[in-house]
Amino acid sequence: MIRTFFAFIFFLSAISAHPVIFKNGKVFWLTQNPSFNDIRFGVSKSSNWLIGGRFLEDRKSNETFALINNNFLAKRWNNRNSQANLYLLSSVGLDTKNSKSMGTIGLHGDWEDRRFMVMQMVEYYSYSSAVVSNTRFAYSPFTVDYSKTSTWLIAHYRVEYSNNKYSYMFFPVVRLFKKNYLVEIGFNQDNSFLSFMTHF
Amino acid sequence: MKQFLAFLLFLNFGLSQSVVTLQDSEIEINENEAVVEVLGMVCSMCAFGIGEGFSKTDFVDKTKFNDGVSVDIDAQFVQVGLLKSSDANAEKIVQVIEDAGYDVNQLFILQNEKLTKFSFDKLGILQSMAFNLSSNTGN
Repeated sequence: MIRTFFAFIFFLSAISAHPVIFKNGKVFWLTQNPSFNDIRFGVSKSSNWLIGGRFLEDRKSNETFALINNNFLAKRWNNRNSQANLYLLSSVGLDTKNSKSMGTIGLHGDWEDRRFMVMQMVEYYSYSSAVVSNTRFAYSPFTVDYSKTSTWLIAHYRVEYSNNKYSYMFFPVVRLFKKNYLVEIGFNQDNSFLSFMTHF
Repeated sequence: MKQFLAFLLFLNFGLSQSVVTLQDSEIEINENEAVVEVLGMVCSMCAFGIGEGFSKTDFVDKTKFNDGVSVDIDAQFVQVGLLKSSDANAEKIVQVIEDAGYDVNQLFILQNEKLTKFSFDKLGILQSMAFNLSSNTGN
């Protein structure tokens, strides 16, 4: 259960190419996998701070978590044809059935240009004292202009350290996005997921 | 290094039209338009945020381009149509780009038959250089 929950957190975190978006921009996304349904909504109050809410449903236990996300862009390096970012991530919330609190804190770094993207994120979960590391390498086989669909092939690698044990997971993912819409489809031998996100 | 320096070709098609060069791209600029070289604009979601920012201003001429804005991700620039009656200026345009999370490397505005180039000096202060198209002389 906890492992699956962590896996889901990983997917949600990883689909967001930019945890903070343009000033006054809103982000909405849905994710479903065999274990969870999830809805998120956020507002960027500035170009370096996004705050939002999230409802997460465990499809097996019917548990639901209500969380507040707080994403802060600590540093961005805008270069010609590339960009790099360093984010501080946190969330606090409750299990809606027993009101048990939980919180997370994380560090997210990424670099991307028109063809390649790398991402590394580390998160700590207070209620289980778990540390999760997520790594992504992505490649776009062709570049397209603003009005066409962009395709990315992504390799996910995840390491979780909890209860003095490590666990590992690898997922290949296809990302498609056009203008302000993004869809990701991923799978491995055990699981699959579908995500949709839009900015407006 | 040459391709990194924008320069003016002064290939005037008329007094209200000119061409600017950003990296390897020659961009036609008309009266009441701005051309902005944007750093870090690497995806369509980035470009969408910039377009949204301009759409909420009161100085964009939405009859030009696509609701007033044209984005070229490959060449890393944005073209903006400016309302003739507005008080559009370089600072406002830079603010829109920065609110979207990106940086301006340089900016050209063609208004009143005067092409003005803006860029940041080493202290981060916006500097301008104006060219009167009717005489083809730089100030």
